[in-house]
Amino acid sequence: MRTFADSNPIVVSVYFVAVTSIAMFSANPVISAISLIGAIVLFLMTNEKKEVSTHLFSLLLFAVMAVVNPLVSHNGATVLFVINNNPITLEAFIYGVCTSATVVAVLYWFRSFTIVMTSDKLLYLFGAFSPKLALILSMALRYVSLFSVQLKKVQASQKALGLYKDDNIIDSFKGGMRVFSIMITWALENGIITADSMTARGYGTGKRSRFSLFHFKIDDVILLCMIPIFSAVALYGIVGAKFEFYPYFSVPEISMKLAAAYISYGVMILLPVIINIKEELKWKYLKSKI
Amino acid sequence: MEILKVKNLNFKYPLADSQAISNINFSVNSGEFITVCGATGSGKSTLLRLLKREIAPVGEVSGEIFFDSVSVSKLTAEKSASGIGFVMQNPEHQIVTDTVWHELAFGLENLNLPQNVMAGRIAETASYFGIEEWYDKKVSELSGGQKQLLCLAAVMVMNPEIIILDEPTAQLDPIAASEFIGTLKKINRELSLTVILSEHRLEDAITVCDKLLVLENGSVKAFDAPQKIVGELDERLLRGMPAAVRLFHAVDGRGKCPLDIRDGRHFIETNFGNRITALPKTEYACSEKPAMCFKDVYFRYDRNYPDVLRGLSFTVYENEIFCILGGNGSGKTTALSVASNIVKPYSGTVEIFEKKLKEYKNQSLYRNCLTVLPQDVQTVFMRNTVREELEGAESEAEMLPLDLEKLMDKHPYDLSGGEQQLVALAKVLAAKPKLLLLDEPTKGIDADSKYQLTDILRRLKSDGMTIVIVTHDTEFACDCADRCAMFFRGEIVSADTPREFFSGNNFYTTAISRMTRGVYRDAVSIADAVELCRLNKAVE
Repeated sequence: MRTFADSNPIVVSVYFVAVTSIAMFSANPVISAISLIGAIVLFLMTNEKKEVSTHLFSLLLFAVMAVVNPLVSHNGATVLFVINNNPITLEAFIYGVCTSATVVAVLYWFRSFTIVMTSDKLLYLFGAFSPKLALILSMALRYVSLFSVQLKKVQASQKALGLYKDDNIIDSFKGGMRVFSIMITWALENGIITADSMTARGYGTGKRSRFSLFHFKIDDVILLCMIPIFSAVALYGIVGAKFEFYPYFSVPEISMKLAAAYISYGVMILLPVIINIKEELKWKYLKSKI
Repeated sequence: MEILKVKNLNFKYPLADSQAISNINFSVNSGEFITVCGATGSGKSTLLRLLKREIAPVGEVSGEIFFDSVSVSKLTAEKSASGIGFVMQNPEHQIVTDTVWHELAFGLENLNLPQNVMAGRIAETASYFGIEEWYDKKVSELSGGQKQLLCLAAVMVMNPEIIILDEPTAQLDPIAASEFIGTLKKINRELSLTVILSEHRLEDAITVCDKLLVLENGSVKAFDAPQKIVGELDERLLRGMPAAVRLFHAVDGRGKCPLDIRDGRHFIETNFGNRITALPKTEYACSEKPAMCFKDVYFRYDRNYPDVLRGLSFTVYENEIFCILGGNGSGKTTALSVASNIVKPYSGTVEIFEKKLKEYKNQSLYRNCLTVLPQDVQTVFMRNTVREELEGAESEAEMLPLDLEKLMDKHPYDLSGGEQQLVALAKVLAAKPKLLLLDEPTKGIDADSKYQLTDILRRLKSDGMTIVIVTHDTEFACDCADRCAMFFRGEIVSADTPREFFSGNNFYTTAISRMTRGVYRDAVSIADAVELCRLNKAVE
């Protein structure tokens, strides 16, 4: 089974960039709403933790942003009520809800993105631009984990040697500094071994090639072609149709162009869901034959 | 066919008074397995590194090394990098990248090979070495043995004609070490790959290799089949030899020297017989006063993780040497961390000298009471020279069987494994503890240092110290412990004197015990076996 998350990382990134940037710059409540629904659905699909608590922050953010805008901005003609001589308007409220929907949607897109894009995939992505950078990042990731493990070990053995004391902050601080300094020595000393191991395996003999775990399959190519087409249709429709918030909230007249834009954006948003469901059905069918 | 030839090789480190390598000549045929042995400082690492151009030490070199009849200095960069593989001691720092697959690809990427060639080579290497299951893993999730296997595979993927390994098993536990040597045997026999291995733990290597190269003070003392060499060795070199060889020497054996357990047993059976099968019983009486006492201790690293210690209960009495043996991940080290109050158990109590850990306020536990020598002794060092390191530990340092004058101005990291261990021990002893905890003290040290360490621990005991050692090393435990305990799945399952303990175990026991099983009842150390052989000889 090859789900959306298993697609080529370049395709996945292009998708996320297209989907989020259209939602962010369109200033179109309908697009924002579609984006929000799609983002939440994808997040529910990719995230393994099913607890409600993972959504609490987004809900809170949504509520706060929707409420704060009418409290701060007093534009708009329809006054709902007055607080301390400040009119609270319906238009400002609608605007608040729209922007917070956009922001929360983007937040969800990013959360899915970080789940889908594991470090291997990110490295592949960087490597596409610069193989050297990818190697440096990979080495850095290795070293960070090595360093933190060693730091914990040094702290434990120094604690047993009485380096830190419970009651003396200055002493603890001095101890901490000394540990830090020895960690640098340690890193440099052992870095020589790593350097030896690299040259022993021919690093620096000439141009390097790059090995990657990911390939372009036909599905990836199709997906990669679909994204710009859907984006273009969506953008073409949205650009002409402007939502007015102030002084009165007005909705642009629905035209063929705009309807096509909504549908095409909607389909694009649903692509991961469609791919995953398609794969699921295919798998069910194949499984029935085993 | 001759694949490697070393001719009149001399080497001197800059600023050194004497030659590190002097006048070395030898040649290696294709498909041979050579084991290089010698005491620390005999020039093993220097010699091996000189064979690999990229990492050859800097200094005055004379003489020549030929690889495939071409002088090493004239090889092309690709041939030199891929033709001669090199694996070092510490797997942790040899690994360059963060994932297993990337590490395997690293060497091939350096050779600028196209993706499809790399994919094929990586795939076959990974499946040959059984890496497939952890191919996607992060390096940090691997065990020590897996890491070293990865280092070997990452070199093998480049298709070398000869592979050089500089003490590759020093940082591994004995089980992982034997497995690693087994893998080397496999690649040597199945792929006819030439292997040059330096080792100070020869138990496994000696039975695998075709030739033994004995180095002493930078020159070749002997270079021949192990069978021909082991008959005549001096005491220092003998310490690193397999139990069968040491036994042969200890009883002044004649004829063919046995190398492994099987031959050792045959040697005993044919030469000594077993009319007397057991040694006279000796009673072990320990002090009544407990020094360290665990009562039903449960510990886990995180709420969602499984228990590491599951109701651990045991008592160590004053003035005894207590060895805890057990496999990897059984929780031995964790037990020491709990005892030294580095981590806290969620249930149960630990008492040190009949006082609960909680009652040791404000680090008083670490003053004149308890001290720990951790597994990674480098974590003990905080200064730039050994002299500064040993400040306040002068009297402890005097006890070390080292030529300290030579070491005083070195950086602690530049010492050999054995020297580091002993200097670190002196440093932790400066706290004048009554209870000393040691975690894997024999890891990464040579046979000679192990012998010295045993000696020091015995002396500390005679001065009244209580010592608890966590180790994998059955021979070491047998030599120095008063009582041994088996740790399994977070609990101590059996504890007894070394003789009872090891003669009762079938697998997890000393080489001598395995060798004499069925012949003698309770021989666990060389001394026991020698005594029994002597008694039987006298009867005859």
